[in-house]
Order: sequence, then structure tokens, then C-alpha cells
Amino acid sequence: MIKESLRRVFALAKKEFITTWKDPKSRGIIVALPLLQLIVFANAITMEVKNIDVAAIDRNNSVESRELLSRFEHSPRFRNIFIVDSEKEFKSKIDNQKVQIGLYINNDFSSALRGQKTSDVLIISDGRQTNSASIASGYASQIISDYTSEFNKSSGASINPVVRNWYNPNLEYRWFLLTILIPMLALVITLLLTALSIAREREMGTFDQLIVSPLSSFEILLGKTIPSLFIAMVLTCIMTACVIIFFKVPFMGSMLLFLISILISLLSIVGVGLFISSVCNTQQQAIIGVMIFQLPAVLLSGYISPIEDMPESWQALTYLNPARFFMALSRGIFLKGMGLEEVIVNLIPMIIIAAITLTLASRTFKRKLG
Amino acid sequence: MNTVEIKNLIKTFNGERAVDNLSLGIEKGKITGLIGADGAGKTTLMRLIIGLLVPDSGEVSALGLNPYKQKPELTSKVGYMPQKFGLYEDLTVLENMKLYADLKNVPYEFDKLLKFTSLEPFQDRLAGALSGGMKQKLGLSCALLGDPEFLVLDEPSVGVDPISRRDLMQMVRNLITPETTVLWSTAYLDEAHSFDTAVVLDKGKVIYEGKPHDLAPTAQEFENKVIDLMGGYKKEKSLIAESYTPISSDFDCTVEADHLEKKYGSFYAVRDNSFCIKRGEIFGLLGPNGAGKSTSFKMMCGLARPTSGTARIMGIDIKKNPEKARSNLGYMAQKFSLYGNLTVRQNLEFFAGVYGIGLLNRKKRIDEIVEIFNFEHIQNQKSEDLPLGFKQRLSMACALIHNPPVLFLDEPTSGVDVITRRDFWNHITGLAKKGVTILVTTHFMDEAEYCDRISLFYKGETIALGTPAELKQRSNSNTMEEAFITLIKESGK
Repeated sequence: MIKESLRRVFALAKKEFITTWKDPKSRGIIVALPLLQLIVFANAITMEVKNIDVAAIDRNNSVESRELLSRFEHSPRFRNIFIVDSEKEFKSKIDNQKVQIGLYINNDFSSALRGQKTSDVLIISDGRQTNSASIASGYASQIISDYTSEFNKSSGASINPVVRNWYNPNLEYRWFLLTILIPMLALVITLLLTALSIAREREMGTFDQLIVSPLSSFEILLGKTIPSLFIAMVLTCIMTACVIIFFKVPFMGSMLLFLISILISLLSIVGVGLFISSVCNTQQQAIIGVMIFQLPAVLLSGYISPIEDMPESWQALTYLNPARFFMALSRGIFLKGMGLEEVIVNLIPMIIIAAITLTLASRTFKRKLG
Repeated sequence: MNTVEIKNLIKTFNGERAVDNLSLGIEKGKITGLIGADGAGKTTLMRLIIGLLVPDSGEVSALGLNPYKQKPELTSKVGYMPQKFGLYEDLTVLENMKLYADLKNVPYEFDKLLKFTSLEPFQDRLAGALSGGMKQKLGLSCALLGDPEFLVLDEPSVGVDPISRRDLMQMVRNLITPETTVLWSTAYLDEAHSFDTAVVLDKGKVIYEGKPHDLAPTAQEFENKVIDLMGGYKKEKSLIAESYTPISSDFDCTVEADHLEKKYGSFYAVRDNSFCIKRGEIFGLLGPNGAGKSTSFKMMCGLARPTSGTARIMGIDIKKNPEKARSNLGYMAQKFSLYGNLTVRQNLEFFAGVYGIGLLNRKKRIDEIVEIFNFEHIQNQKSEDLPLGFKQRLSMACALIHNPPVLFLDEPTSGVDVITRRDFWNHITGLAKKGVTILVTTHFMDEAEYCDRISLFYKGETIALGTPAELKQRSNSNTMEEAFITLIKESGK
């Protein structure tokens, strides 16, 4: 009995692999699309930032400090320099996003330069716009160190640009982005892959053929789940490898925990995809179904705005969202080295989501028979 | 005068000539039938004539116009009904007609059409909810809008019951003017026999052109003549049946319907349907479109759930134990429903696996099937690229791969040419002799003659059950088609 059942499931799974791979369109979706997006998105964040506005407090008010500020003015990347007197005004300019960075020149600036001592120039960037902030503060540091080295080549004096990111002290946007891109792209591809699979067969009439065969709904479900899960898993691993090798994001956590986490995360997404597919009659409907699920899933995952900032009732809603946990796990294990306990806390909701969606999907096959 | 003049026309697809140096004239004011095997180039020729395809070389003129250079002028004078007419299923009958009237820029004058098609009471029904026959009638009505000078109909009668088929023919004959030219492609040779002119195509060439009555006086003889023209069909012993492991069983009824009933709301699609099919019997389910025979068929194989009653296959209840019951079943669908992007062999492997043939036996069994069905040269080809005849053979091979004792065929020959159909039935009758129980639905009344017993279905109920001879006797008819029409009309009274 079990042997025969396995044989049927295996035949179905094999067919899924061949059809997915043979169709140039789905092959493109699976392989080219996510890798392309990974590269595009990852590089999009390093794009040039121009027209940076600066608020500056010059406590030194010397020839040297004014010379430094004029360098900012002449740099093509910086636009307006607002010299402010009070720290309150300085703060409000950054607060209201009138400027992207603030410069604070200490009153010992010129004497330090001349006296060959060390002094600091504080660069404050707006961490809420992590991307442009990090780039802007990078440019600012460059200008400051160029200036000091030019001014005093022979002497040992140096001015250290000290960067402070307000609101987001450890600015690691690229890392942050990449560890979120992995679950995002995996979500999109896995959903599409699974949502189309049954709808396509319905449209072609082959689904009837499956139902008339000895395959039970559970076996059909299994035969559909395994290939999707496998393909999504391989894809996610490739993306992870790319992130570690090419983008040099340090992997802090346990690889085993990470693999288990993505497996379960993907399973819950496969469940959602198959459920969408089971209620749709055509591929077009399935694609619309994917969209309807995907947009809120991404927006309410904590990627755009932190979940803690959402109204409480909405926070509760995010428990239904596998993307939320997938993202937390990916980021947490990757960057923080999230521990076993916390991983399990995140995995449990996804196991429940997977169980519910897969059961619903298999029920729906049966009910759809009419 | 000719409506269409074709000279040395050539059209090539992927290096193969679909239309091969073809010259033809189509007479004005006549109905011309276009006959030929699948892939003979019928559809391609029609599309070339009305400018939907551009020829590689040669000349075409339709209504004195060049179809691809003067397409806008030509289209306004042509009524074209493709094989799958583009009805919008989510629009009502009337909305569909209005849409096509708007597209053709003609006034909303539907009374005559609606009366003739007897679609009048269904004006507000969604086109998707119409039966197959009614859909075709609506499609034809849309093609007839604006009184076209030239009517091009690509197999309008595929999948349509004999009564609706007659209606379609009458519609065309009554709604056109004496000047209207009709080009009508068909797989029904009795239909073609009634036309003014018959053109037989083979491999992109015209092999016969003339009056059908000159070729043969009766429709039956006409069919045989056309088969001869297309290279002939020699009835040989069916290898497929020969190699079949004989089936024996102790059941009285290998397939049994036990008070099957299907209700949609308060409407009975099928009412109290019971029958018993014996081992080795060919049992035909016949009836007009929408009579409930597909619903019965679907309930029999577990594609639809009966409201009450059940079906048993080899004694196994399809409701209680669906997987086990289905493992005794070979199923062939109306539409080609195998995996188009798998090769022939991969399709066979898939179905062998699904029907639980072990890995060790699988290769042997598939090699055997490939040999019996003559798939050697195409086994690594994608199945969607195969000609229709081969697709049909492949569907049959997949249905038979596990040597099932019961075979369900749902309009298996719909849209298939006459030679392939004869070959197909040769295998089916051979299989029945080996003890395979066969349940079949069809709209070809000549095929009904192959059945041992027929259940005639109308409005959800069986109105007649018996051998073809009995049914003909009961209705005092000579042919099955007459018997069909008489019996349905009688029960309607």
C-alpha cells in the first residue's frame, strides 16, 4: 500500500520537475529572476547620492574651519550648507529632514590642526534614511580627511571624522537589505511556482486526468509540495551563498538552524500557494490571488515599517503572515546569530500556517469536484 | 463567377508545407465543403483566404480583394467562425450579440437570428452556461451578423449533437441569400455529402474537387470513397487488443450505476440513473448537449460527486473507495489532456507511475506500448507538437498503460478525422473482445453502431435503453441518427 502510494507520489513529483524545468518561462522565473533581482536591489542601494544638504555648527569659527566648510560648498555632492548657531536649531533641522547630515566642528579644531594634536569632527547622519545617510556621511568623512592630510602633510596632526548615526546606531543597510531580500525573493518565486501549478493543470484539463487516476488528494498535494519545496530550497540556498560570498555579509548564526528555518518557512509559503491554486480555475485568477496575498504579506512583514510601530490590532494580524517570521528568522540568524529558543518561537506559527493551508488546499480539491 | 481564386499557394510552417502549391476556385453562391485528415491544411487554407495568414508565395483573391493587402475591406464582407468561436463566457447571449454587432458596425437586429436559433428564451443567460450546441448556434449567429457575402466556417459541428447539427445546417441554409458563398470545413462526411461542392485536402493539396453526388450517391458510400482518396484504410487485427492481457471477472456488472442523481439547486441534471454494464460490453451514453450525459459520465469516474446514489467499478464503490475504484479505470478525455511539454515517453512514464506500475516492470511495459502503438520515431518528441491523430493515440496509450479492466471514453473522437476514427474503433472493439468493459459518449451516430447497448439520455433521464437495432426498430428508423432524433422528439411530446 505505502509502497504504491510512494510510487505514485514520486511519479507526480518527477513530472512536476520536468514540466517546470522544460517550460522556458517558468525556468526563467525560477533561476534568472531572483538572482537578477538580488543583484539589482543590492546594488541599487549603493547608488550615488547628490544634492546633500548640511547643517553645520562651527564652534571654532576660524580660517581653517571656514575653509573646511567651503570645501563642502564646492563639492558637487553637497548643495546647501546651513550654518546654525544653536544646537536646538541643529537638531530640529535634522529632525525635520531639512538636511541629511549635520557637521559639528569643535572649538579646538584649528588649534589642534596647528598644534599637531588630535581632534574630532562629528558627523551626524539621519539614520532613518539609512541608505543615503551612510553614503552622505561617507562623502563627508572623505572631505574632512582629504582636508586634514593636505593641510598638514608633514605634521602628525589629524582630525578624526567621527560618524554618529542618529536613530539607527549600527548602520548596516546593505546587510539588512540583503538578509531581507532572501526571504522576499523566495516568497515571491515560491508563491508563483505553486499557485500556478494546479491552476495550470485545471486550465489544460490535465487535472481531471489526475483526479481520475488512483492518486488521492493527499498524494496529489504531496506530489505538488515536494518539487516546489525542493526548488525553492535550492534557490534560497543559492541566494544565501551569493549573499555570503559576493556581498560579504558575515553569517553569524548556526547554518543548520538557518536551513531548518528556511525549509519550514518555505513549506508554509508552499501551503499558501497551493491553497490559492486550489481555489482558482485559471492561471490568471491564480496570479491575481498571489498579488492579493503578496502585497500585504510584504508590507506587513516588518520590512517597510517595524511591527512594533503598528497599531496593536494590526500587530495581531501579522501572526497570520509567514513572511513576517521568515524575515525575522533570516535576519536574526544571519546577522545576530539568533538562538535556538527564539528560532523555535518564530517557527511555531509557520508550522501552524503550513498545516492549515495544506489541509485547506487538499480539502478544496475534493470540494471543487462539485 | 468565383468568390475565391487561389493560384499556386504555398504556406510553410517550420519547414513543413501546410499548403502545398494549391490552386482552387470557390464558386459564388454555393456551399463548399472542405474535408481532409487532421493536419491536411484545412484551417491554414481558410485563414489564408481571409487574410489571417500571409502566404509564402502564390496568389489568393477573395471577393475580388487581396486578403492581406485589403484586409479591412474584406473583413467587413466576411463572416468567420473559427473552431473555437470567441464567445465571451461572462457576457449574456444578448450582450455577446451586441458586442459582435458593434464590432461589425451593424444595427441590433437580432429577432430573426434569435428565433431561428431558438435562443430567444435564453437571451439573458451567460454564454458560459449554454450547452455545447447552443454555444455553436450563438457563435454562428454572431458570424452571420451583417449578412456577410462570404461565410467561412471552421468545423462548426465539432462536439455538437445530431439535432443541433441539423439546426446549424438549417440556419446557414435559411439565413443566407442566394449570392452568399459558404466555405464549411467538417469531419462529418454526411454533412459534406449534402453540400454543393466538396473539396478534399490531403497534405496541403487538393485531391478531389467536385459535386459530392458525382463521387457517390449515398453518404455512406461517399465516406468510403473519401477514405479511399485519402489513402484508404485497411482493417487489420488490432495489435493493441492483441497484446492486451485478457480480463476475466466474476461480477455480473463490471460497471454499475446505482440510482445516480445530481441536483443543482432544484434542477435535476441527472435523475435516477441506473444501468449495469457487463464484462466486454461497449456501452454508449448518447444524448443531446446538456442532457446530463457528461454529468453522468463524470459521476461514474469520480470527477463529480453524486447528490445521491453511487457507481461501482469492478464492484468497488466510487464514493466509498475512490482511489481503489479508479485504479481499475482507464480514462480518455474529450480534449487532449496530457502534458504538452513532456515527451511521448515521459507522458507514458508518468501515467505508468501514477497507476502504480513498479520501476522494474515499467520500462518493459513502456517499451511494449511504444512498439504496439508505433511510437518509436516520435517517443522523444514533445506531445504538444504531435498531429492530432497521434495525440489521440497517445491519450489511448496512457489510458491503457495499466491494462485496466474498464475503459471510460468521453467523446474520444471529437474533432478527429474519419480514418483515425475507424482505426480507433477497430482497437476499441478488439479490446472489448478481450473482456474490457467500455463506457463511451459520442456525437457520431455512425459510431453508436459499434456499441453493444446504448442508453439515450434526455433532460436528465434515460429515455431509451437497448441495442442499436432495438432502438432503430422502436423508432422505425433506418439509421441511428434518425432513431436518435425521433426518440428525442417523441419523448419531448
